[in-house]
Amino acid sequence: MNILKVIEVSKYWGGNRALENITFSMNCNILGIFGPNGAGKTTLLNIIAGIYSPTKGEIYYREKNITKLKPWIRVQLGISKTFQVVRPFRTMTVEENILLFSKIRDNSNVDEIIKITGLEDFRYRFPDQLPFGHLKKLEIAKVLATNPEILLLDEPFGGLNNEEIKDLLELFVKLRKNGKRLVIIEHRISSLLEIAEDVLFLDRGKKVFEGPVKKFLENEDIKEYYFGGNNNA
Amino acid sequence: MNLNYFRSRSFILSILIIIATVIISYAINSPYFTLTILIADIFIIMSIGWDFSSGTTNYINFGISFFFGIGALFTGFFFYSFNLSIPFLIIQAFFFGFISGFLITIATLRVRGVFFTLLSLLLPLIGTDFILAFWTVLKMPTIGYYGLPSLSNSLQVSLIYISLFLIIIIILIYTLYSTHIGLILRGIGDDEEAMLAQGINTFWYKVLIFSISMGIVGIAGSLYALSTTFAGIDTFGLEFLLFPMVIAIFGGKGKILGAVPAGYVIIILSQYLQLYVGQFTLILFAAFAIILFLLFPNGISRWFK
Repeated sequence: MNILKVIEVSKYWGGNRALENITFSMNCNILGIFGPNGAGKTTLLNIIAGIYSPTKGEIYYREKNITKLKPWIRVQLGISKTFQVVRPFRTMTVEENILLFSKIRDNSNVDEIIKITGLEDFRYRFPDQLPFGHLKKLEIAKVLATNPEILLLDEPFGGLNNEEIKDLLELFVKLRKNGKRLVIIEHRISSLLEIAEDVLFLDRGKKVFEGPVKKFLENEDIKEYYFGGNNNA
Repeated sequence: MNLNYFRSRSFILSILIIIATVIISYAINSPYFTLTILIADIFIIMSIGWDFSSGTTNYINFGISFFFGIGALFTGFFFYSFNLSIPFLIIQAFFFGFISGFLITIATLRVRGVFFTLLSLLLPLIGTDFILAFWTVLKMPTIGYYGLPSLSNSLQVSLIYISLFLIIIIILIYTLYSTHIGLILRGIGDDEEAMLAQGINTFWYKVLIFSISMGIVGIAGSLYALSTTFAGIDTFGLEFLLFPMVIAIFGGKGKILGAVPAGYVIIILSQYLQLYVGQFTLILFAAFAIILFLLFPNGISRWFK
């Protein structure tokens, strides 16, 4: 059974095409969605999360058609999304930010989430007192508090240094071990290829490639066109 | 429930200030001062009710005088029509404030920002006209109900009752504020879109909180009627919209307990201005309010934490 299936999804903003006939299914634990700027990655993620509705097409989660469901109902079903630009609740401490979402599906273990995301030392601090890397972790911690089955992560490495990226990659591996499935949009392909199992490559709203990482790296067309002939992703 | 809220300096100070005002009014033994403190307590209840919903969520509600008027007018109506006792008169004020708050917010909370604010002002205006028309059809006194029962024959005992009410309402609101609902309220004020996108449907929480708040404002209306022994149509007036909002904003919007010291400062000031400068009160009060807001743009809650 495909856990997530996207069937012929298109999205138009007025006359502008953001996505056209995107079809793919998720069978792995970590799916990386790549593509240049304007490829439609964030639009696709927002459609899966229910923030945008598609102009055409359908989305299935565990064989259930969720195309018309509101975002908060999708979260209750088990699909949660982070924001590309972090949006912590600034009047709340780190603990309260996580507590806020902890009652949506079962009762999440806030202590465990704080521990796994490495936010122990910042538990009672406010977001304005956190380094940027920890704000990114807080964004993920908020989503984990909803106890999701699928996490939709929108450019989680954006603005982070190599050390912070390494930290997040370790966190993602831990989450995979804990049974979470991750859909990650990222510009920095090299970082994500370390952990992704499957890849979906978009360009100007169209699907260019879908398949395992190994095949992606061997695909001569992609190498030639996007990476200038070298495998220097 | 987070019990730290009840150990906070602002909570303890608020209770102490309320008790202090009762003691001072006993010591001064001036009926005018006692009445001023009593009115201040009622406005503080209104302000806290308003701030709990509008201040924390940033849905600015301009319709509170309608709910205050409902509380006052229905107190008169239920006393004369059904001879209800004082506790039941107060309970019915909460009930009708809650129900009218529920009906109005369920219609208005689907829009945000300036649209909500405008609707919150328009719907109570329509409601006020509707009630007046309804009252006229039923041949009931639109001017008001005179000779309502007083909380006590002694003004100072009435002040104790109202102060107790204020303390109970503060404890109830703080209890609610310290639960998960309080977190959701603050989240709505911070970034409601993020809450909706990340799994919390805020609509029914807002309806619940606004209904409770307007129920509390209804209680304030009832206490006002029972203190002045009169419930008239003037309770729907601008004064009962302006003062609670000024108090809440001077106290620090969304800070709830800032309304306690702010309420005493503003009402004592306005009552004594009225005593000495009469018709110039509003002008002087407006000037003073502008100075206060310039000096304390975020309210006084910073000094009150």
